[in-house]
Amino acid sequence: MKRKLIAATGVAAMVASVAACGSGEGGSDGGSADSITVWLMQGSAPDEWLDELNSAFEEEHDVKVNVEIQEWNGIQERVTTALSEDGTVDVLEVGNTQTPAFADSTGLADLTDIRGDLGYDDWYQSTLATVEFDGALYAAPWYTANRAVIYDKDVWAEAGAEVPTTREEWVEALQLIEDNTEFEPIYMPGQNFYVFAGFVWDEGGDFAVEDGDAWAGALNTPEGRAAMEFYAELQSFSDSPTDNDEASPQQATEVIPQSQVATWIGLPWQAEAAIEALEEAGRDADYGYFPIPGKTADTLGSVFLGGSNLAVAERAGDKELAQEWLRMATSAEWMTKFAEATPMLPNQEAALPETEPGSFVEVMGETAEYGDFFPLAPGWANVEVVPNPIKEMMTAALDGADYESAATTADAEITERINRD
Amino acid sequence: MSAETPDVVAPPDRKRGGKGLGTRLLPYLLIAPALIALGVVLGGALFRNVLISLQEFGRRQLISRTTEWTGLDNYSEVLTNERFWSTLLRTFVFMAANVVLIMVIGTLCGLLLMRLGKRMRLVFSISLVLAWAMPIIPSTTVFRWIFDTQFGLMNWLMRTLGFSGYEQHNWFDSGFSTLTIASLLIVWMSVPFVALNLYAGLTTVSGEIYEAARMDGASAWRIFWSIVLPIMKPFFLITTFLEIIWVFKAFAQIYALNGGGPNRSSETLPVMAFVEGMGQQQYGVAAAISVLTLLILMVAMSFYFRLILKQEKEQS
Amino acid sequence: MTPDKITDRISDVNISGPGGAPPAGDPVRQTVAGTARSGGTGGGARALRAKRFGKIWPNVTALLLSLLFIFPVYWMFASSLKPRGDILTRDPVFFFIPTLENYTRAIEVDLFWTYVRNSLVVTLGAVFLALLVALAAGFAIARMKFRGRRGMVLVVMMAQMAPWEVLIIVMYLNARDLEMLNSILTLTLIYFVMALPFTLWTLRGFIAAVPRELEEAAMIDGCTRTQAFFRVIFPLLAPGLMATSIFGFIMAWNEFPMVLVLNKSPEASTLPLWLASFQTQFGNDWGATMAASMLVTLPVLILFLILQRRVTGGMSAGAVKG
Repeated sequence: MKRKLIAATGVAAMVASVAACGSGEGGSDGGSADSITVWLMQGSAPDEWLDELNSAFEEEHDVKVNVEIQEWNGIQERVTTALSEDGTVDVLEVGNTQTPAFADSTGLADLTDIRGDLGYDDWYQSTLATVEFDGALYAAPWYTANRAVIYDKDVWAEAGAEVPTTREEWVEALQLIEDNTEFEPIYMPGQNFYVFAGFVWDEGGDFAVEDGDAWAGALNTPEGRAAMEFYAELQSFSDSPTDNDEASPQQATEVIPQSQVATWIGLPWQAEAAIEALEEAGRDADYGYFPIPGKTADTLGSVFLGGSNLAVAERAGDKELAQEWLRMATSAEWMTKFAEATPMLPNQEAALPETEPGSFVEVMGETAEYGDFFPLAPGWANVEVVPNPIKEMMTAALDGADYESAATTADAEITERINRD
Repeated sequence: MSAETPDVVAPPDRKRGGKGLGTRLLPYLLIAPALIALGVVLGGALFRNVLISLQEFGRRQLISRTTEWTGLDNYSEVLTNERFWSTLLRTFVFMAANVVLIMVIGTLCGLLLMRLGKRMRLVFSISLVLAWAMPIIPSTTVFRWIFDTQFGLMNWLMRTLGFSGYEQHNWFDSGFSTLTIASLLIVWMSVPFVALNLYAGLTTVSGEIYEAARMDGASAWRIFWSIVLPIMKPFFLITTFLEIIWVFKAFAQIYALNGGGPNRSSETLPVMAFVEGMGQQQYGVAAAISVLTLLILMVAMSFYFRLILKQEKEQS
Repeated sequence: MTPDKITDRISDVNISGPGGAPPAGDPVRQTVAGTARSGGTGGGARALRAKRFGKIWPNVTALLLSLLFIFPVYWMFASSLKPRGDILTRDPVFFFIPTLENYTRAIEVDLFWTYVRNSLVVTLGAVFLALLVALAAGFAIARMKFRGRRGMVLVVMMAQMAPWEVLIIVMYLNARDLEMLNSILTLTLIYFVMALPFTLWTLRGFIAAVPRELEEAAMIDGCTRTQAFFRVIFPLLAPGLMATSIFGFIMAWNEFPMVLVLNKSPEASTLPLWLASFQTQFGNDWGATMAASMLVTLPVLILFLILQRRVTGGMSAGAVKG
């Protein structure tokens, strides 16, 4: 028994000592000006770029930069609670459609005064809507990426299909592939609501409209119906179930390498990952890219301009240093290096590297002009939370439910959620 | 532990004149650490939970550390929500079905453990422990893989066995089927607890009792009914009690499988509390739902409380 | 393993264990043969066959059940050894060339050993604290009469119902306001309280199950009450201690949502956070996830195997003394 007791007290002592050093560090960490803490999402920044940037920053300001990579699992609670703590985080990456929510909840520092220093005037106009809220600036745009159509050149050639410039031509091409090859003409999960969003915007519709100071869901409209019809038309060419999105299972790394897919819609890094996975599986992937076609040949299809902004926490340990890091990271100089190392679009044209003709990045650059966002209401973040009413509606509509009733249900849910702040 | 109390010789129920103060205080000293720990940590949290349920408490209030009292607004919002009542009903049905399954299968497995030889017993208990110990992330992931539409093992198995229609069968296409799979997962991860504990409990009962009963020609059923059950009555009472609570509270198993879908038709109360509350950072609403859930659970369990307290009386 | 060792093992599995459901005709003989364990004392051929069957079915059932229970675990294990392309496939891959790549990738993560240390400290600390506190309180409730005893029983039962998943945000708020975030001690305390009601309840049951006469006999023999507790009751509690400590261990070892918001500093993180880190927006590293899961499950298994031996040891010791 004695031995056990000793073991027990030993553990207790260990607990106490570890706790002491843990809390000591935690307490002093953010408040002191000899270091700043930067939260970036897993996979956002290339390691080399980050290292180079931080050593330049550390040299210039003689402080240490702690980059803490955040995981996606449970990120919402983690960011919200972190923003309520003093000095836990100084600079953080925020998804662009989430930015209004955090700006509205007083979590982000107002950067309006230093917007000239940040290079406000050089940023892509299209991204400004996500960083400003109620006339004030709360973040700097960092990078964006949008979806394009990825196609297997060989299969398309075999089918006699050509790169389309309109929706009609696109459907014809898919039909040719269906008729002339063994391939699945397009992989189209039933719940890719980012792609669906583009179709809605093509029709001139949106997910919610502002009515006075409240928002209301707007899917039960002729525009919404038309968008869903086109989505369903494309989806009918796919073998995919109707109740999955592009991430479950991951279309690029899990579905494509095991299927005979001629076409799919994805993001630049997904194309890279798919090529890698295909090669690993011993298959070649000669991919070409084209913008999602518009309704007519003189326009392209609208795309959701997904991406991230960088913001300073209102409760940052050292706001000035944090702003300085943010300024540096989003400056033309560092964005140029960033754009060279990643397949994303930087925050300004000056940083855009030379693009190879026909590359994904070039297509993205072309489409960026047609980029659009979900309603930039603080409550939009609530709509995207599982169970996402838009996805539920898509599955219902694809499974043959009456569009009007499915859309009415979705609208009611969107209205309820988007007006919560 | 206070070892040096003077009155250590007397058994507790032996009446003796002139008990020392120390003896009278001893039980209180012994329960004090537990009571304090529960009171401070859990009590403090429950108290604050009630406070928050009376506030508008979301992202903004959390970050800006402000307080906005709204009285019973959160409660009336929840109670007037039709979904709350249908979900409540679903939760009880789901809970009852699962608890019955867990208790029956768990008991059978526990009794089986008693019957086995040393090695087979070890094999079986290791597989039980592994099922129990597997963290929630891989277990929900593996169950999703098993029933996945495109890559699922189940669809493969059905195809291999020659059944048609399983090319891309969707096992999650209704609330009922989703909850059935959730039940499978919950039963799978809960049975080990019942089985291993029943076994642990049975081993403290002298084996001679069974032998004697067998010598008298009692059947297995008879032995269970007239020996195991009475002896283990407290065990069954408390384990059922625990399982009711645990299944009632089960969240990750259901949410991770299909997010409470399709169309929210596999939501139980904890899932709903998450979807309406935590997921959208309406912490006030979430707190209100949890307080209501707790009250409902307490009312539903009151007969159980009485049963266990009665049991308690018999023992002392 | 040599062939005869294998047959040895198989026959051992088949024969050992007390007999199954006694056939109606010959219960006594059945029992005797079952306890004799040698299997050679059977009477006629029919009885022998019946007896064989009676011994085989529990083993067969247990084997089938074992397979059923272990399958998801096996699948996790197999996936952790598979090359990336073989993990999630239209037709499951049963035969593959195992690779340890997933494990290397999982372990190579920065601060891995810090997470291991934190998890061990938090879990062991919480379990020991819970056992200690619960043993004291459980003894009081099971063996002593005092005013408020039933109240205490009620408190413990209610505490059992605590909706911890929903209390995360208030636990967080309390810890934040007390400036106890990013602390291993806070986490230990919370896990201890989470494990306490169950531990207390179970141990109380085990203590109550020990016949009072044993304790009295020891005291008549001149033991003090404390000595009687440690010499008589404590050894008999071994299975209870095992069950409860495994329960507490699994609970604290796997806890995720609480540590996610309470400890944001990487130095104060635990293994479940690490385990969740291989699923990202840019693709899920299932291989590493499953490898990490295996590594997280392993200590529980080891703990169980260690305790399993202790339990039988403790039991026989208790039986001898009793």
